[in-house]
Amino acid sequence: MRWIHAAFALTILSGIIATTGCSPFVENNTIEEIAPVIFWSLNQSDDRHLEISTLVPPLIHEKKRMLTLKVDLQKQGGKEFNLIYYRELKPGQLRVIVINEELARKGVLPLISTYLMDTDISQRLYLIISRGNFEEFMREQLNEQANLDYFLYRMLKHYEASNQGEMSILNLHQFKNKLFSPYADPYLPLFEVKKINLTYKGTAMFRHDKMINMLPLMDDQIFQLINNDHYLKLFAVPSSDVILGHVRSKVDIDLDPSYKNMTIKIDLTGRLEEYRGNKNLHKREDLAKLHQDIEKYLVSRTSDLLKTMQQWKIDPLEIGTRTLHPFSKPISDSEWLNLWEKMKFKIEYRLTIQPLVNVNQ
Amino acid sequence: MFSKKNKKNNDPTKTLPSTTVQTPVTLDNLKRVLANIDEAEIIERQTNNGQQVMLLYIRSLVNLERLNEAIVEPLNTSSHLTIHEYMISSKVSRMITLEEAETHLLRGNVILYGMDHEEFWAVPLQNTLSRSIQQSGTETIIYGAKDSFSELLEQNITMIRRRIPLMNLKTESFTIGSISKTEVVILYIEGITNPDYVSIARKKIASIDFDQFLDSSQVAAFMEDHKHSVFPQFQETDRPDSCAFSLGIGKLVILVGNTSYALIAPITFFHLFQSPEDYFLRWIISSFLRCIRYLSFIISVTLIPFYVAVTTHHYQMIPLQILFVLLESRSKLPFSPFWEAFLMLITLEIIKEASLRMPTKSGQTLGVIGGIVIGQATVAAGFSSNVLIVLVGISAIASFLVPNYEVTKSNSLLQFILLILAAYLGLFGILLGAIGILTHLNALSSLKQPYFAPVAPFYLKEWKDLFIRAPLPWMKTRPEYLHPVQKWRMSRRR
Repeated sequence: MRWIHAAFALTILSGIIATTGCSPFVENNTIEEIAPVIFWSLNQSDDRHLEISTLVPPLIHEKKRMLTLKVDLQKQGGKEFNLIYYRELKPGQLRVIVINEELARKGVLPLISTYLMDTDISQRLYLIISRGNFEEFMREQLNEQANLDYFLYRMLKHYEASNQGEMSILNLHQFKNKLFSPYADPYLPLFEVKKINLTYKGTAMFRHDKMINMLPLMDDQIFQLINNDHYLKLFAVPSSDVILGHVRSKVDIDLDPSYKNMTIKIDLTGRLEEYRGNKNLHKREDLAKLHQDIEKYLVSRTSDLLKTMQQWKIDPLEIGTRTLHPFSKPISDSEWLNLWEKMKFKIEYRLTIQPLVNVNQ
Repeated sequence: MFSKKNKKNNDPTKTLPSTTVQTPVTLDNLKRVLANIDEAEIIERQTNNGQQVMLLYIRSLVNLERLNEAIVEPLNTSSHLTIHEYMISSKVSRMITLEEAETHLLRGNVILYGMDHEEFWAVPLQNTLSRSIQQSGTETIIYGAKDSFSELLEQNITMIRRRIPLMNLKTESFTIGSISKTEVVILYIEGITNPDYVSIARKKIASIDFDQFLDSSQVAAFMEDHKHSVFPQFQETDRPDSCAFSLGIGKLVILVGNTSYALIAPITFFHLFQSPEDYFLRWIISSFLRCIRYLSFIISVTLIPFYVAVTTHHYQMIPLQILFVLLESRSKLPFSPFWEAFLMLITLEIIKEASLRMPTKSGQTLGVIGGIVIGQATVAAGFSSNVLIVLVGISAIASFLVPNYEVTKSNSLLQFILLILAAYLGLFGILLGAIGILTHLNALSSLKQPYFAPVAPFYLKEWKDLFIRAPLPWMKTRPEYLHPVQKWRMSRRR
């Protein structure tokens, strides 16, 4: 009877182990023997080949060097890195993928599919687009700043957390969701690389998986306000010589039933951080005039932005999702894009600014 | 269901079944018994009215001052017809058999032999050698009573009786151990404690057949339902207030002669995490401290295995900032995470054990050696990582938060088991180990009562005194899983 119990317990135990899918053949993941890669940079080498680069050793205060390989496939690069470096490079901690603009314009789906299929790689992986020679920049900076790869990751993490309202940061999971949604188009932050500078230039817009164009900084601010973060720490309106601070928006989009007209109502609250114009802000009339100027400016910029999106045939604002109704057949993505291209819109801004000065009644 | 069982109150087997044939007590027999015992004294006296009396006793066990007051002086000054009338002590008893006489002699009684009437009388004049009442060494508290048990059984019972001045507080005495003749007393409150527990305890004590018992834990070892478990099934305490509280909620207390630790049963796993102070402090603070204790237990058992699991198998799971620190710290070490952790834990156990055995002054030196030499120097020498030293420190301190010392000891063993599982199977191993521990806890029992109650079997109402300690006025009933005879703790129920 005792043996029967033992056999029964062993069977259950084996069952538990088997159902978890644990493999009896484990990889050696002892951390001092491996080098967890945290960033890969992808570049177009020639028509056929990719150029893949990474920094080694990652995450350790040792003299770093840049490894660059010309490969057909990304994983091939991952494998060949190991042959030229004494620690095994493992992608389980991959956090940042830098894709060159040229490559992004050809389409990123084959690239990101590799990461989506790899169970070791987390989907909390930041994707960024680089303009210029990123590898050159990294090589130049190696001697200047230790752990550059790590700090690049920390910067992206910082701006992603709690909607800092400065950059359009998306991780792989969010990008994938937008990519495969019929009513959304993905976007990514674009950084321009010059010899010693890495500068955020705006938001790279995608039609399906191909980069179409980039929103310049001013449009990018509007985009942050009406879609991405609904928040800007500082918002410069150069035409009125004013800077608004802690700007928060509440966006209300209304489509008419025929999907031909759209009304966007944006409630904007903020405070006057800096003013260098000629108006006397202590006067109520002047302040009201400033309000009007800013509103006018915002309406005009937003209108331009939406028109640009219509021209590019993209809908990163996911306005198409508003066509979905319970118990009705959803319209197809091509049908929606046709409607979106021709849609007329009306933009209304309601601005509430705290002047932070005494205003005479 | 439980209360239906064993309704018949079995008669206690209060003494061990004797295999020797009972011999009548005679002076010759007694002299033979006392032969070759250097401190045995046989003194012949004559009373005031001329009766011949013989005093037999073992000098080292008898209080000589009281011998003079209670026996010698009355014999010299008073005049009575029979011997026992001379005695001031009320507990004078007559003996018939030699075995009785031997027991009395060994317990520090003086045997009086009236030569005229040929009668043997025993007068209790034990030498009550014991240390004074001191503060508890293992369960120190800030608030609450400071007294603790000593090695004197009578004194220990007195301390409990002062806290529970009830006639219902019953005591049943047994003698176990063919060499040590250890006295064991079961205490329980009639009308509260389930009589089945008393009956189980009686049977278990009666079935003990061993020669020597020098500590209550040895008695517990014979009474435990599961002898191969690392978890104690009897709570050992030297605090009379703990015992009184346990008696009040329906448990029974077992006191053992010549030891300062009482046994409390039946207990659950969760009782081992409760301190008497929990009921003295404000309930929110007590609840917080109790939760910290449970957390500390989990930390002490799993922290080092978790470190080994993630550094050996799951580098993907480590937050990048921590991975950065770990890689730096481990990059030049000669040992794998498992061996590094294993050696550090073994070293820690050695230091812990040594600090217990060493004299106090040397213990301080040991602390310095342990802290500085083993801690800092191993890192400087490159034998261990900074991170592991920090984790070992946290784990060691966390293990001491559990009020029960035996659990602290069993922690270390569980930690080693989980460490091996973590090294080979990673987090899955830790999970498997945790399931194993929980299954084992679920299978345990204390005095045949479920050890993992009120979690399994589930008693929702009793959760008010489990992970949190609810306000005392809310605790209107005694724990249901103890099946007390009287459920309510209040005398006036609305």
